[in-house]
Amino acid sequence: MSNDSPIIRISDVSKYFDDVAALSHVSLDIAPGEKVVIIGPSGSGKSTLLRTINRLEDISSGKIVVDGFDLDDKSVDINKVRMEVGMVFQSFNLFPHKTVLENITLAPIKLKGMDKADADAMASRLLDKVGILEKADVYPAKLSGGQQQRVAIARALAMSPKIMLFDEPTSALDPEMIGEVLDVMVKLAREGMTMVCVTHEMGFAREVADRIVFMDGGQILEIATPEQFYNNPQHPRTQKFLEQIL
Amino acid sequence: MKHQGKCVVEETQPIVIDVGDGAAIPKPSDKGLVSAWWLSFIGALVTLGCLLYFKPNPYWRIFKFIPDGILVTFQVTVSAIALALVIGLITGLGRISRNKYINLVASTYVEVVRGVPLLVQLFYIYYALGRVVHVPDLLAAVISMSVCYGAYMGEVFRAGITAIAVGQTEAARSLGFTRSQTMYYVILPQAWRTILPPVGNEFIALLKDTSLVSILGVADLLRRGREFASESFLYFETFTMVAVVYLIITLILSKLVSFMEERLSHHVKR
Ligand SMILES: Nc1ncnc2c1ncn2[C@@H]1O[C@H](COP(=O)(O)OP(=O)(O)OP(=O)(O)O)[C@@H](O)[C@H]1O
Ligand SMILES: [Mg+2]
Repeated sequence: MSNDSPIIRISDVSKYFDDVAALSHVSLDIAPGEKVVIIGPSGSGKSTLLRTINRLEDISSGKIVVDGFDLDDKSVDINKVRMEVGMVFQSFNLFPHKTVLENITLAPIKLKGMDKADADAMASRLLDKVGILEKADVYPAKLSGGQQQRVAIARALAMSPKIMLFDEPTSALDPEMIGEVLDVMVKLAREGMTMVCVTHEMGFAREVADRIVFMDGGQILEIATPEQFYNNPQHPRTQKFLEQIL
Repeated sequence: MKHQGKCVVEETQPIVIDVGDGAAIPKPSDKGLVSAWWLSFIGALVTLGCLLYFKPNPYWRIFKFIPDGILVTFQVTVSAIALALVIGLITGLGRISRNKYINLVASTYVEVVRGVPLLVQLFYIYYALGRVVHVPDLLAAVISMSVCYGAYMGEVFRAGITAIAVGQTEAARSLGFTRSQTMYYVILPQAWRTILPPVGNEFIALLKDTSLVSILGVADLLRRGREFASESFLYFETFTMVAVVYLIITLILSKLVSFMEERLSHHVKR
């Protein structure tokens, strides 16, 4: 696969919830290693778009190909595809009945048949990477939001995904904890991970994003580099949106 | 009939007042109920003691006659609850299944069982079973009880499972767990904590309801009492004894259940 052929290919995708069009005719190609930040007002379909990439949401029409797998192809095992696509949620969603370490090792042990010693070693490496190795044996309820989110990132990374999806990973955090999570995400970006992030953190978007995708009303209205996007937005609705948040 | 003794007040929901039908489980917060528990328990023990001491004839004779029945009552209760748990798990999973036929079967089962009085069900299943296979009375009783309680247990399981936040499922699915792996590794291990206390209630309710199987000829506590009474004609004395023994058993069990709930809620807080 050449470096230019997209690892995620979203073609003319629409998604209806009953009568509501959460996505209408969205197309977006994302190259391996690319960092895409999705921005837009509430209800514009950002989460829905992100969640179609690992098929947490089924699509109504169109086509999505992830790492060569057509998600609507009946012969494709969606669980195999999901192992390649990590996801981080706004609400962390750690498993409360498992320790931090077990949260991370559960999937590799059960899904990849990794033995416990290897999985523990890998989990320790990942916890070290996100900076909370000392919390390995603690239950999630004992952690701050920022720490929980970093564990959630480590948990997703434990499956060695090729793609990481982030849905407003810092929106539920107290301001003083946002930095620690963004730091981890920046680190991940530097390592060359393909990342699709829904976030309104402008600093992060400017520093990391190759492209910024602006959505409104279930449509992509503008795709631009951070530079262009923030300094010289083209679409009137982008301009209006930026005026409101800046 | 069933449902847990909770009073749920939510903005959009009407107020739910539900008294449950197990024994009243004494929560430490409910001072009135705790003292009522002690009053009943000590009262029951004192009554028992006095009867045995001051009127050993006939009470001592009755007392020696019924322990076989207590054993049978426990046997039926424990086996029926075990089987009902299995049926309940399957039913609960069926009720939330995305397969609409499985869903329909499970829901219909629950609906039908809830709509027919337990005693009628006992007779029905007992005689229906009898037409197909010959099973011992005790087994027939256990099956009938568990078919009935399985439906209620199914609702308990369903409620326990659906109470787990959807984010848990999404997190697991996004890692690559299948639906059933998610249920097994992530949802059920969390749900049992919500499920256990109502199961405790069901256990007590079931124990009391097993008195109905005496009608099927199973020699449980009540049946032993009836046997004694019909020989001795001491109806009042016998049923006084039977009632006191039932009361003591359920009081002890409800204390155990409340103890278990306590332990569990500490466990959840960690
Ligand atoms: N499960 C659902 N059922 C019905 N409608 C839904 C569902 N999920 C999303 N929608 C609708 O689809 C549209 C897009 O929602 P989506 O969550 O993707 O927006 P968003 O851009 O992520 O918004 P936010 O910034 O608030 O998270 C909204 O109109 C929303 O109400
Ligand atoms: Mg969203």
